[in-house]
Amino acid sequence: MASEKFVIPIGPQHPALKEPGHFEFNVDGEIVTDASVRLGYVHRGIEKGAETRNFVQAEYLVERICGICSHVHATAFCLGVERLAGVEAPPRAQAIRQIVAELERIHSHLLWVGVAAHEAGFDTLFMYTWRDRETVMNLLEGITGNRVNYSANVLGGVKCDIGPEQAEAIQIGLNFLEERTRHYLEVVSSDAMFLRRTRGIGVMTREDAERMGVVGPTARASGVPRDVRIDAPYLLYAEHPVELVIEEAGDLEARFKVRVRELFESYRVIRELLTALPEGELTARIPRRIKPAETISRVEAPRGELFYFIKSNGTDSAERVKVRTPTLPNMASVLALSVGHQLADVPMILAGIDPCFSCNDRMAVVKRNGDEQVWTWEQLRQYGIEYYR
Amino acid sequence: MSTLTALMALLFFPGGLIILLVGLAYEWADRKLVARFQNRIGPRWFQPLADIVKLLAKEEVVPQGVHPGLFVTLPVIALSGALTAALYVPVFGLAPSYSFSGDLIVTVYLLSLLTLCTGLAGANTLNRFSLIGATRTLTQLFSYEAPFLLALLGPALAAGSWRISAIADYGADRWLILAQPVGFVVALIGLMGKLELPPFDAPEAETEIVAGALTEYSGRGLALFRLGKGVELVVGLTLVAAFYLGGVANPIAFFAKTLALLGVLAGLQSLLARLRIDQTVGLWWRYGTILALVQFLILIVWKGLAA
Amino acid sequence: METDTCLQKAAELLAPWAQETIEPEPGRVDVAVAPGDLVAAARALMDARWGYLTAITGLDPGEEDGRLEALYHFACGAAIVTLRVRVPRTRPAVPSLIDVIPSVSFYERELMEMFGIVVEGTPNTDRLFLPEDWPDGIYPLRKDFRMEQLGG
Repeated sequence: MASEKFVIPIGPQHPALKEPGHFEFNVDGEIVTDASVRLGYVHRGIEKGAETRNFVQAEYLVERICGICSHVHATAFCLGVERLAGVEAPPRAQAIRQIVAELERIHSHLLWVGVAAHEAGFDTLFMYTWRDRETVMNLLEGITGNRVNYSANVLGGVKCDIGPEQAEAIQIGLNFLEERTRHYLEVVSSDAMFLRRTRGIGVMTREDAERMGVVGPTARASGVPRDVRIDAPYLLYAEHPVELVIEEAGDLEARFKVRVRELFESYRVIRELLTALPEGELTARIPRRIKPAETISRVEAPRGELFYFIKSNGTDSAERVKVRTPTLPNMASVLALSVGHQLADVPMILAGIDPCFSCNDRMAVVKRNGDEQVWTWEQLRQYGIEYYR
Repeated sequence: MSTLTALMALLFFPGGLIILLVGLAYEWADRKLVARFQNRIGPRWFQPLADIVKLLAKEEVVPQGVHPGLFVTLPVIALSGALTAALYVPVFGLAPSYSFSGDLIVTVYLLSLLTLCTGLAGANTLNRFSLIGATRTLTQLFSYEAPFLLALLGPALAAGSWRISAIADYGADRWLILAQPVGFVVALIGLMGKLELPPFDAPEAETEIVAGALTEYSGRGLALFRLGKGVELVVGLTLVAAFYLGGVANPIAFFAKTLALLGVLAGLQSLLARLRIDQTVGLWWRYGTILALVQFLILIVWKGLAA
Repeated sequence: METDTCLQKAAELLAPWAQETIEPEPGRVDVAVAPGDLVAAARALMDARWGYLTAITGLDPGEEDGRLEALYHFACGAAIVTLRVRVPRTRPAVPSLIDVIPSVSFYERELMEMFGIVVEGTPNTDRLFLPEDWPDGIYPLRKDFRMEQLGG
């Protein structure tokens, strides 16, 4: 066995992964010596699909790239298309977009704390954070009518308003969550047994973080001040800014702290927006056809910088939509970081970047078992219709 | 006549069927308590029984590349080891069915049989998760076994006997937890290690190695291992309660004390995050063993002085 | 203001290799460079610690154009500099940035399998997103891609 490589496959189906991805870890005893990754198990052809649909349809398509951060995908796309069309959403719409984006961040970070705690075998924290996450899910449902793919955005604005009653409900929900979050911050920074699994594990120095080009909370936990909301404010982040949350240690503990502390910023900025919600229209008119141009739209997703490149060609559909999700640059860091660590730490390190495989994978071809026939889109659609009839 | 009694003791009460059911009931209590601590609803009262019935009714898939004989017999050996151990301990507050001088050592090793079988079962398959799980199971076995035994030898030394019934009689008059608190803690934590309960569940850490050594097991084999675990839980709790908590002279005391201990175990399970295997080993050898050993030496010296 | 300084500095850094420089919208500079100059241009930005590579976009302007484009987007605060590399459709190849930016591998693999632009010198050319049995020479994000090309 000494000369042979002992490979531990993690995925595509594995309890540590909530989504399919395939990792191979070569181990020597319990120590990881090499790592590689294969993505694409949930590739759905969204970039290609967005080229064949008009802008309105494509907006709903990109919202379905990810189930956790659906709103930021739609926001990035809308902001890009609006810029191409020379239209700006009314201030009230921008405020509501920002509120929903921050609520989504709360939901995503709470979800992450739970998942990461579960990877460490700390199921109690997992259960409690997910219970509290229901609060924010209910708030999102109250505003938009949906728990996951909110569809709050339309091109040129938003389709749902926040009335005084909803604002009140949000305030109450945030008060509860803020109190709970204080408790979680205490747990992740003081629970002795938990710290044994997070402190000094998966350390990424600031230099490494910059070299590997990581983004989002992963970068900020390593002391890299990188946050699109601050660097390149969009929506109302210039008027109602968030403060940069940063930790220097670069280990898992720092990644926990950054995400939990970011929650407080989200609570604060949502309250601020609710009290200063601008009056006015919810949507602006946007032309159906958009003159040929290229634009780049960047927003801060819960996992880091989300990058959209949109090219229009004078018709009602996009020539090219390029999506670069935050998981892709962060993924490379996982492979580098896990080498030299215990196998037991790998799920934690993996979860530490909050990977989102659906975000990464955007293209697929469906194969029927047995014969190697490729289905066209139309066949697939027909199959779906028949199946559920 | 004596054969009939022996068969009864072995197959029905207190050995066989009843202790299996009580094991399941304790497993339910543990799961329910942990669930409530974690703010979940938890399983219904018959859930463990339903699980076992379902597993027993299912086909046992023997994977390729294993020794089929070993694959099938290991769960049987594991369960019979645990059941045999039950005959030597005062379960349900009754006197042990069998007793001889030195049965304490035999019982402790019968209890280890389950872990050993789990490790062998994992090593028998070609599954990588099983192999890693088996390595961890056996590593963990070697780390808690010594302190656990030392913690049980403390009361034995105080009682001046290696016979479980004699130690239990001695313990019935006094709460040895007061005289030997370290031994009690080590024994209780050792029991958690033995049962691979969190935070000592690295050998079956699902987020890393799926189900550890038992990944390839399904159907009957898995059911037998699970039953064995339930029995071991009862036997282990009985031993600790009989030795340290003022004995289990009658069924009421037995259930009250073992369930109280189970409550403590459930609390610890939900409070703590999983330890890595190297941390587990470090914890046992750096603290558990040393502390148990120190207390053991003090006992010997004190015994010598008193004599 | 700060963004403008950033862009100005980038434009200066890239001046030796720039074939064409345009400002498509506020906060962005689009610099066309020859494929052979790409590594040098990227190195100039990296050596000056000007931001980070945020994405590589492949672009197919259509068959009649006869070219493929690879867009290297660098971000520094709110400023974005795009290095636009145009390669012939008949033999599309760009040099790898792996020596300058070690984390570029995933982006380059995506570019290779989606557009068939050969990235010369990149260490790992395995498939990242597409299935193992995806036919060679078929690149799904090119405009001339048809589902029928996959056989069946």
